Formats: sequence, C-alpha cells, structure tokens
Amino acid sequence: MDSVKKKRNVKPIAIVFLAVLGIFVGLQLFNQPLEGKPTPKKIEAPREVLAILENSCFNCHSNQQNLSWYDKIAPISWAVNKDVERAREVLNFSEWNYSAGEHQGKMYAILNMMQSGKMPLHEYTLLHPSAKITTKDIETIKKYTLSLSSVNSTKKEEKNIHQNLNLPENNTNSKSPVSPNGVQYSDDFKSWKVISMSTLFDKSIRVIYGNDIAVKAVETDNFHPWPDGSIVVKSVWKQQELPDGEIRPGEFVNAQFMVKDSKKYTDTEGWGFAKFSGKDLHPTGKTASFAKESCIACHRQLAEKTGFLFDVPMKVNTERLIKNLQK
Amino acid sequence: MSVCALFTACKIDEPDKDLKRVVFDPGNLKFITNSLNPKKETMSALYGNQEALESLTGENNQPKANSEFKLITWKYHDNPQYIGGTITGELLSTETLQTDKNGKITYQFKDNLKPENNPSNKEERIKYFMSYKPVVRP
Repeated sequence: MDSVKKKRNVKPIAIVFLAVLGIFVGLQLFNQPLEGKPTPKKIEAPREVLAILENSCFNCHSNQQNLSWYDKIAPISWAVNKDVERAREVLNFSEWNYSAGEHQGKMYAILNMMQSGKMPLHEYTLLHPSAKITTKDIETIKKYTLSLSSVNSTKKEEKNIHQNLNLPENNTNSKSPVSPNGVQYSDDFKSWKVISMSTLFDKSIRVIYGNDIAVKAVETDNFHPWPDGSIVVKSVWKQQELPDGEIRPGEFVNAQFMVKDSKKYTDTEGWGFAKFSGKDLHPTGKTASFAKESCIACHRQLAEKTGFLFDVPMKVNTERLIKNLQK
Repeated sequence: MSVCALFTACKIDEPDKDLKRVVFDPGNLKFITNSLNPKKETMSALYGNQEALESLTGENNQPKANSEFKLITWKYHDNPQYIGGTITGELLSTETLQTDKNGKITYQFKDNLKPENNPSNKEERIKYFMSYKPVVRP
C-alpha cells in the first residue's frame, strides 16, 4: 500500500523534473553562440597594462571571449551575449584603429571607469571574481595613462572622442548644420550665460554655456531629471600658451551640444548629443544612434550625480559672495 | 555642554549647507574670451560690451570710449567627475574697467574684501586687459 503511495508521489515530481529539463534543453536550441570574430588590430600597451585589460575587460570588450561554461548556457547566455555586443559597440580592444590622441582619450575613459568603480560591472565580477580590479591595477593604468599626456603634448595631432579635426572635403558651409539625431547647430549660445570653464588632458580649453532653463536647473540643483528644454553648449579651443605661461584659447576645435528632450532621446537618458567640428561645423555621427555607442556610455556611468552632464559648476560658493561680487 | 556639542555636531555635519552652484550674471555684457593661469590655478572669463569687443579686435593700446569690461576670476580644480580634466570652482574676484565718453578710464578690483578703486597697479591691469583677443570660432 505504502509503496503504491510512494510511486504516486514520485511520478508527479519526475514529470515536473522532466518538464523542466525539457524546457532547459529546448532553450539551448535558441542559444546562439557569440559570433567568433577576428582580431584585426589589438590594442598595444605595456605588458602590465595589457594583463589587466585582458583579465578584467577583454571578455566583453574584445573579440577574444574566454567565457565560463555557465556563460554559454541559455538563458544566462542571452544576457551575456547582449552585454558583450553592447560592450563591443562602445569599446573593442580587438579593433583598436585609433590615432595616438584617440588612444589617449580611450585610456582616460577606461581609467575613469575603473577609478569610479563603474567597470568592470558589479554583476559581472559577482560571477567572475577573478576579474575584479585592485587599487594597484588602477595605479598601473593611471601611471600609463598619465604618461601618454606628456608624450602627446609635444605632438600636433592631438585628438580624443571630443575632438574631430579630420574634416571631410565636402564642406556644407551651412551655418545651421544638423546632427544625425536632429540636434541643430545655432549661434544663440554665444549670448547665453557661461556656466563653467574647463580644460581636458588633450590640451584644450573649454567654455560651457547654458540657456535660461539650464542655468536655473544649475542654480537650483535640479538635475534629476534636468528639465526638458535645457540646452548646454561647450565651445572647445586648442590651448595657446603666452610667453609668461598664461593660456588663452587658440584654434577652434568644436562646439558640443546637449539638448534635453526626454521624449525624443529615450536611448540617451533624454539628452540629444551633438558635436560640430572645425570651421565648417561638421556634425559628428553617421546614424541617429551615434551617441548611444559613444557619448552616453561615459556620461551615464560617470556623471549620473549631475544628471549625466560633466562640467556642472562645483558647489563651492556662497550666494552672499556672488551677490557682492556681481554688484 | 551636551547641547553645545549637538549644535557643533550639526555644523560639522553640514559644512556645505550654505554652498551653492553659482552662475555669474554679466548683465548686458557678453563673453569675449578667457584665460588660464597654471601658476595661480585660476581661470578668468572676460566679458564686455560692443565697444569693449571692438577695442580688442584691432591693435589698440587703450580701450575705446564707452567701453565696459569685466574680468571674472575663478579658482580651478581637478574635475571631481573626470580624471584628466579641470573645472572652475570658487569665485575669487571681479575686475571692472570702464571708459566714459571722453575715454577716461576707471578700474575697480573686487574680491571678498573691500573693493579697491583705481589701485596702484591700474596701468598694468589696463595693459593686461588690452592683451586679450576675442575668441575665434565660426
């Protein structure tokens, strides 16, 4: 009698087990392995730097995946494949076709991501603890990245992701060029208030303007989210050094726009990015989604606190002082 | 005693309570150009009216009549959000240079102390203001 009961109990459990197993096996039919890609041009860097990148970054940011067995099983593999594809779009160490200036810019982005603890992703290191980076690793990356500054400062062809001096021949001469995502260049910003000034490792000097909506957002710390209609424009020049060491703006490099429209720019945290370079204000990007693969990756990870904008004025002044000095 | 400690503690806990993000309002003046002084770790923005802009466009040693300039100087810092960048921080001083319709120049220096009108370095500062050239861009 007992054995009959047992048999009756075992049967449903076995059925459920077999069903789960069946689904699991079935899922594998939809498990497309990551496409194997060649490595046309691998990043070149000192051995100790490469070792860190290979250990902590290459699994997602290269064509040389060395995934664990569990990464290859559906449904985990679906998430892993998606992450790898997105990661490669933003940064791929196997397709490193960059000038010295661009290489420097990428290394600064990597350093900033590591230093801020944003990369490697926490979800990734949970499953892959050996990919965690140490303070010593960051120091190694930092030392190398800073050494690039001194090499490049003597060179003329400085360039990073925010610079684009190689302009195509077919100049449009239009004073209102439009970025592929619809952001249109306008001279209006020249009469807006300057919200801050900055420099970057690429020996550039920058002035950041904001329209009235943006200025109000800055003054009231209203960044989450920035109000629609905010526009911030960064005007970038090469640095020109005077004999006494003072630096002034030299040749114009580009004007970078960020236009807030939460309904239009849903893929990039509501910001429409645009960059207009050189004398003809040539817009950057081939497709409307260019900023998804370049701009927002850094802005999202490193400038979340200030609503995805770098160069927001620091919170270091008193109202009384500014009122007194503004009089 | 404990009450005192409590008040002190509150003050320590909120050191930036009165600190704000500020944007300088130049009134009806427009941005002309800027500069960076690595030795002093300062960045300055030069604003001016149309006459001021014209004064700096040619090879002039003296500002034109009815010119108004403002040079706003800020301390700069490493950008807290990005290694490899710097950004303006504390507002340090404003300098105003004005000429009347006869070209007579007045100069004022202001920091968080008392403003100084026509201080002894006035001539040197006029020369310095006149050394600026408007930014070049499309």
